[in-house]
Amino acid sequence: MIKAQDVNKTFGQLQVLKGVSLDIQLGEVVVIIGPSGSGKSTLLRCINHLESIDIGNIFFDGQSVAFQEIPGGNRIPVKRKDIYNLRRQIGMVFQRFNLFPHMTALSNVMEGPLTVLGVTKGEARRLAESLLAKVGLANKANSYPSQLSGGQQQRVAIARALAMNPKVMLFDEPTSALDPELVGEVLNVIKDLASEGMTMLVVTHEMGFAREVADRVVFMDEGMIIETGTPEQIFSSPKHPRTREFLSNVIRNYDNHSFPQVV
Amino acid sequence: MHLGPLDIDFILTILPNLLMGALMTIKLTFFAIVFGTIIGLFVALAKISSIKVLRWAGGIYTWVIRGIPLLLQLMFLYYGLAFAGILLDEFTVAIIGLSVCGGAYIAEIIRAGILSIDKGQMEAAMSLGMSYTQAMRRVILPQAYRRLLPPMGNEFITLMKDSALVSVICMTELLRAATLLQNATFRPIEIFVTAGLMYLILTTFFTAIFNRLEKGWQFQTGNKGELH
Repeated sequence: MIKAQDVNKTFGQLQVLKGVSLDIQLGEVVVIIGPSGSGKSTLLRCINHLESIDIGNIFFDGQSVAFQEIPGGNRIPVKRKDIYNLRRQIGMVFQRFNLFPHMTALSNVMEGPLTVLGVTKGEARRLAESLLAKVGLANKANSYPSQLSGGQQQRVAIARALAMNPKVMLFDEPTSALDPELVGEVLNVIKDLASEGMTMLVVTHEMGFAREVADRVVFMDEGMIIETGTPEQIFSSPKHPRTREFLSNVIRNYDNHSFPQVV
Repeated sequence: MHLGPLDIDFILTILPNLLMGALMTIKLTFFAIVFGTIIGLFVALAKISSIKVLRWAGGIYTWVIRGIPLLLQLMFLYYGLAFAGILLDEFTVAIIGLSVCGGAYIAEIIRAGILSIDKGQMEAAMSLGMSYTQAMRRVILPQAYRRLLPPMGNEFITLMKDSALVSVICMTELLRAATLLQNATFRPIEIFVTAGLMYLILTTFFTAIFNRLEKGWQFQTGNKGELH
């Protein structure tokens, strides 16, 4: 479904991705974990071309996302039209929700089908209503984002992405900006999607969630994929010392959060 | 009838002339706002474009227009173009001069408004598969519009007051109507107080409209004035 080949990406002097290769099969749920600054989000953003890549290539459904091979062995950037077309098939959920603040929840979800796919208003409305119901927000259809909690906003954002009927969903730390008590409601929606067989790539710091829903866990550090395996392999018997170190840090922090000490 | 130093009967006799002038001021301001906003929008988009030539052109435009007095620009348009054989009537020159000048300031306001919108908004629109134009039209500009209202209101009032400058190219708007009356009657107090009051009424009216527009959108987003 998605195939990243030796992807390299540099911001100025900083090389964020150093030869990342990753294969995602249809229906697979892949969770990427790793310390901040390890290039997880950048990899995600390269897949739907919010960032361009320098070296390597990414294929979606067999088609090149980043470069087009032209006769003579040269490569040129893909056409803008192809990028738009690609993005229509890939849903993206952002850390900071990025809902459109001037539209109601319903209009946010309707916007993609209406503007991009050109469906009728009635059709878009029916679709949006059913998707809001699916994420448990049928009663918030007419609320503006500023009137919703973070968890509700993120669920609307998921519905908005689903409205395009994407083949793949990308989640970029979907719960990192949420208050702890709101994390669960968003993860539940993502879990439901996983159980429906949606192909997903999730960047997250929620290890419990990763263990539960991932078919495969990818550990990234300093722009490279250090280790890939089933949740069982990664969490119970990580091979690489850096994976072990990361996991023990995360789990220690997690425990501190769970049992706040009274001074 | 007298009101302090003001001879009300005299004011009533000059009122028709001044009102005609005020009407022309409104007309000039209206066209300057419409064309200035259109110019401003395209120049703003050029200045944030990824195409270097457009950024350049937009930059030069605002640099030149904002760096030269409007009075000089109007004189150049009126006398300079006539000298070069391009004859335009005063009204056309006045509209062109005011729109081109207003456009440069409005461009900067719109540009700042667009840049103030969180980058995530463009990314969210793009991730749905929208083109740049669609994202601008559906997502960025509607949000920028709300932030633009206060500075735009200011700019429109400035434009209305600047329209007085076209009196130098023999365009009879409110100020020139007043000056002509003054030349004929030598009664500056009544004339300029009345003309001043008319400007004040017009700017007050403008301010009220913009306050209404601002309140309107706050209500619409359920937002009590804080920015998202």
